[in-house]
Amino acid sequence: MTEAPAIIEVEGVSKLFRVGKTEAVALQDADLQVADGQFVSLIGPSGCGKTTLMRLVADLIEPTSGRITVAGKTPKEARASREYGYVFQAPALYDWRNVLSNVMLPLEIMGYSKAKRRARAEEMLEMVGLESFHRSYPWQLSGGMQQRVSIARALAFDPKLLLMDEPFGALDEITREAMNFELLRLWSQTKKTVVFVTHSIAEAVFLSSHVVVMTARPGRISETIEVDLPYPRGTETRESERFFDLTTRVREALREGKEGAEVAAPGPERRPVAKAGY
Amino acid sequence: MAAAVPTASPRGKGRLAAALPVVAVAAIAIALMYPLALLLGLPLAKLRMDNVANWVRLVSAPHALAQAPSDPAAGAAAGTRLAFGGVGPDSSAERSVLVYGGEPLSARFDIIDGELVLEDALPGPLLEWGSALTPAGGGGLIYRLPEGASVEQALYLNGRLLLPGVSLAVERPDGVLNSFTFPDAESGPVLVNDKVLLEGEGFEAEGKHVTLDAPAPFNAVVSRVNGDYAPVDPATGTIVLAEPSGVAPRVADRQLSLGELLVGAVDGSNRVFQLQHVPLVESDPERRIMLDGAELSSAAERPQERVDGERATFTFAGDRGVVTVGGVEVLEGKDFTRSGNQITFTTRPARNAALRQYPDYLVSDPANGTITLATPPQPGSALWAASYTYYDHPACGATEFECFLTMPQHPMPFPHWIAKRIGPFLTAYPLTDSRNVVRATLYTAGGTLTALLFGGIFGVLLAILFVAIRPLESALLPWVIASQTVPIIALVPVLVLLLGKAGVTVQTSLVPAALVGAYIAFFPVTVGTVTGLRAVDPLSIDLMKSYAASPFQLFWKVRFPAAVPYLFISLKLGAAAALVGALVAETESNNRLGLGYAIVGQVQAGNVSDVWILLLISAALGITLVAIVGLFQRFIAPWELR
Repeated sequence: MTEAPAIIEVEGVSKLFRVGKTEAVALQDADLQVADGQFVSLIGPSGCGKTTLMRLVADLIEPTSGRITVAGKTPKEARASREYGYVFQAPALYDWRNVLSNVMLPLEIMGYSKAKRRARAEEMLEMVGLESFHRSYPWQLSGGMQQRVSIARALAFDPKLLLMDEPFGALDEITREAMNFELLRLWSQTKKTVVFVTHSIAEAVFLSSHVVVMTARPGRISETIEVDLPYPRGTETRESERFFDLTTRVREALREGKEGAEVAAPGPERRPVAKAGY
Repeated sequence: MAAAVPTASPRGKGRLAAALPVVAVAAIAIALMYPLALLLGLPLAKLRMDNVANWVRLVSAPHALAQAPSDPAAGAAAGTRLAFGGVGPDSSAERSVLVYGGEPLSARFDIIDGELVLEDALPGPLLEWGSALTPAGGGGLIYRLPEGASVEQALYLNGRLLLPGVSLAVERPDGVLNSFTFPDAESGPVLVNDKVLLEGEGFEAEGKHVTLDAPAPFNAVVSRVNGDYAPVDPATGTIVLAEPSGVAPRVADRQLSLGELLVGAVDGSNRVFQLQHVPLVESDPERRIMLDGAELSSAAERPQERVDGERATFTFAGDRGVVTVGGVEVLEGKDFTRSGNQITFTTRPARNAALRQYPDYLVSDPANGTITLATPPQPGSALWAASYTYYDHPACGATEFECFLTMPQHPMPFPHWIAKRIGPFLTAYPLTDSRNVVRATLYTAGGTLTALLFGGIFGVLLAILFVAIRPLESALLPWVIASQTVPIIALVPVLVLLLGKAGVTVQTSLVPAALVGAYIAFFPVTVGTVTGLRAVDPLSIDLMKSYAASPFQLFWKVRFPAAVPYLFISLKLGAAAALVGALVAETESNNRLGLGYAIVGQVQAGNVSDVWILLLISAALGITLVAIVGLFQRFIAPWELR
């Protein structure tokens, strides 16, 4: 990765999770640089540390060793100054808020004025094509619509960086392709830097300017592949020969990474869900 | 999540259709109460019907001459037909004996179609008049017997014999009840103990049902005249006529009458006879068994010695009689030998066995009306009953079902009986009276809502503390759970006592009900709210973290709203619990207000229908309170109502 200013710099970062008395290596010695305006996909098998890497960048967890810089700051500072928006695999909308006030939630927390947060939320909903669903509650929307609300919410406070952790993983293939087009449109419209975690090779190649291939046990970055398909991309992109070449390259990289992987205990990708009750 | 644009909620439409199954279940439940009421009630009705103690007691006495002869002193010639009061077509000459002044007459006779036909002439007199009765008020209804006459003597009005008769009330007077049913009387004055009540001045009648102006005293004898007259007070010799008369009845000092012969062979050896009306009342002061002109005694003699199991020889006051050991007759010559007033057993009677000697006779089987004489009557003598009491028929009705219908308390009343009681029960007291049920319901509702308010606030605060400060939870939770294992029925008196010490008077205050209600209502609220506060999607928390939200913002914008549906579920549970607490507190606090007090009162009074009504009211109150909580939820947290 060349080009100027790097918005994310990850240098020699490792993350160990303690499971009982044993330690599991979730991420080992990862190096990554993401330049401003790039669309970078992280792809790899389960347990390769994609989500761990994202959470480290977002300062939802802290690295065991190594250094991370986000927009020139430590992750903690970056989070405090709201440098990124995070989109989870599940929409994580709040049941008790309608669509509009779900999008307004981050603005509320960040202390925007009432008029401003309303205007901003309406703008974002229009951008994702949900301007006629302001008053609907999340449970009244389809999965794809919910995820669009979630993206609108992540973009509401205009962060430099959009971290997307398998946002379309739970959607069916048809919706997923539609959402891919939508996302590319948003990306070209807003000029954000996007880091995108996915399991789908086609999705990674179709969306990204760079695909970062990761391997499991221990989780590490094995290769970065530049996707030189021209933007804007459309249906014909998926059918081009170059697209097939690139997907084949990614697939081979994944296979090589698997053959070269050492055997180790898999690290947990998600925190266990805390359930209380007597 | 399938419907893309569900703009209109599906609720509202088909609300009626949704209510239909609920109504159907209620209808089925009500319908099932009928067989259940019968299932539970009929065995009790049968017990009530079979128990002879509940039967109507009648006294069998000689039938007096029905019509006073114009010249009693002249006697009667052979072939004269005489009618006797109360003698029916099923009477027979073989079972009857002519009596005059307690002496059986030897004149032969036959009974044809209920009339006696003399075969021998009778010397006079056939009747000796006493004095006329003196009016004693009651508009020609109440008369007093002359000095020396008894209520058992025959009374004649204009020469016609008056027959006594009363019908006893089915209901048992409890001091509150004022409506009674008389199965065998539809007119005539009512007697409450020895007080005469006249229709229109003391009671209102509607067929067999009578409503007294004042409730009958506890355990009073309530009856209604259904013969020509009824004795009112044997001590003062007062009687009451069924219909008013301007002419005073006359009493007969002696008259020809038809007595009842005992059934059994009078052959000089048979000692066992039977009375015609059964079963007998065992301990019967009315019973007079006559052998010719002399009355036989039913008294029993006890031995002078103790029955210690060693002794075989015992001494009695008399030198004859039926001897029984433990109620079973033992026979002279076989079981014992007699020498004067001493008897010696061949086998010693067991220690403390009941040893008795009946000098004249013994009622050996009251159910079958059997008596055993000490000495067999000689041929030609007349063994007859001058009077005795017997159980005639069940007082509660002719059939088990009638007895069921007239039961004073049903374990489970028919639903329509309960329904019929609702109106009078609700309006029994004016709204200004503290005994008014609507008032009591509102009072309990007030106590419950106060309890729910305090219990809810306390429960939520405790839950927030528990979630915020983990060590507090581990320290306090066992005690919170322990607090709920204390039986509230034991807690309430202690609480009332403590409040009394603190100067909170139980008589006027909602505090006991509210406190007890809050005590049990807070627990579900705490548990539910803790669960709700903890059950937040971890992604939501990560999301808030990514916004760099403060802990305060995290709590108010995510944790608390997420817990609200749990809070409402637990408030609904709490409302039901608070109602139970308030009701129990009311039963104990003795402030005469509220449903709890009313329930206890009606249970103690045995008004089963009213208890059922109170149960239904309590249930309706519980449902209403839960619905109110639901209404709040609709306004405050509509998102969970899908």
